[in-house]
Amino acid sequence: MTEQAILEAVQDIFRDNFDDDSLVITRDTCADDIEDWDSLEQINLLTAIEKKFQIKFKLADVRGLKNVGDLLDLVKRMVG
Amino acid sequence: MNHYTLAEMQPGLTESFTVTVTRQMMDQFLAITGDCSPIHVDADYARERGYPGCVVYGMLGASFFSTLAGVYLPGEHCLLHGVECKFARPIFVGDTLTITGKVIHVSEAVAEAEIKATITNQDGKQVTRGIIKAGLAR
Repeated sequence: MTEQAILEAVQDIFRDNFDDDSLVITRDTCADDIEDWDSLEQINLLTAIEKKFQIKFKLADVRGLKNVGDLLDLVKRMVG
Repeated sequence: MNHYTLAEMQPGLTESFTVTVTRQMMDQFLAITGDCSPIHVDADYARERGYPGCVVYGMLGASFFSTLAGVYLPGEHCLLHGVECKFARPIFVGDTLTITGKVIHVSEAVAEAEIKATITNQDGKQVTRGIIKAGLAR
C-alpha cells in the first residue's frame, strides 16, 4: 500500500472524526493544528485506523506519535 | 457488579439485564433535568398526539447504557468515553426493558472497548440502540 493511499484513507478518517469534509492533513499536521484533536479524539482516531486497516496497535507504538507523519509511518510498517 | 479487565473484554462477550420503567423514575428524571415537555408529563397531551400515555424520556432509557457499562460490561473498571444512540421506538411507563451489550472491538493500545448496545421491550421490539465506547483502567 502506498503512502499516498494510506494518507487518503487516514484523511477520510480525520474528516469523519472531526465532521469536516474540507479538512486537509499533511505529514506535518499535529494536534495543535486541529482544535478538537484532544486525547479522546486521539483514541477515536487510533481505533478507527485499527478497524480501517485491520491492524492492532501496541501501547508502545502510539505513545510517541508527534504528528500525522509518524502515524502514517506506523501504519505503513504494519500494513507493509 | 462485574469486573472485566481489558484482556477479558474480547469481541463477542455479551451481558444483559432487565428493568421496568416506573412513574417514579419519570418523576425523578423530571426533577433532575427539568425537561417538562408535555409529551413526557401530560398523559392527555400524549394521547392527543396518538400515544397510549406519556412517552418515557429517550434519555432515561439511554441512561441504562450507563448501568450497562458501569455495572455489567465491563463493570468496575469502566470509564465512559462516549455513547451514540438512536431512539427507534417509544418507551412507556410499565415497559420492561432488556438492556444488552456486546463487545465488537477492543483496542489494547488505547485501552478502549466498543460495545454494541440495544434496548428491547417486553414485546421483543428494539426501542433504543447505540454504540458505547468504554475506557478501561489498565
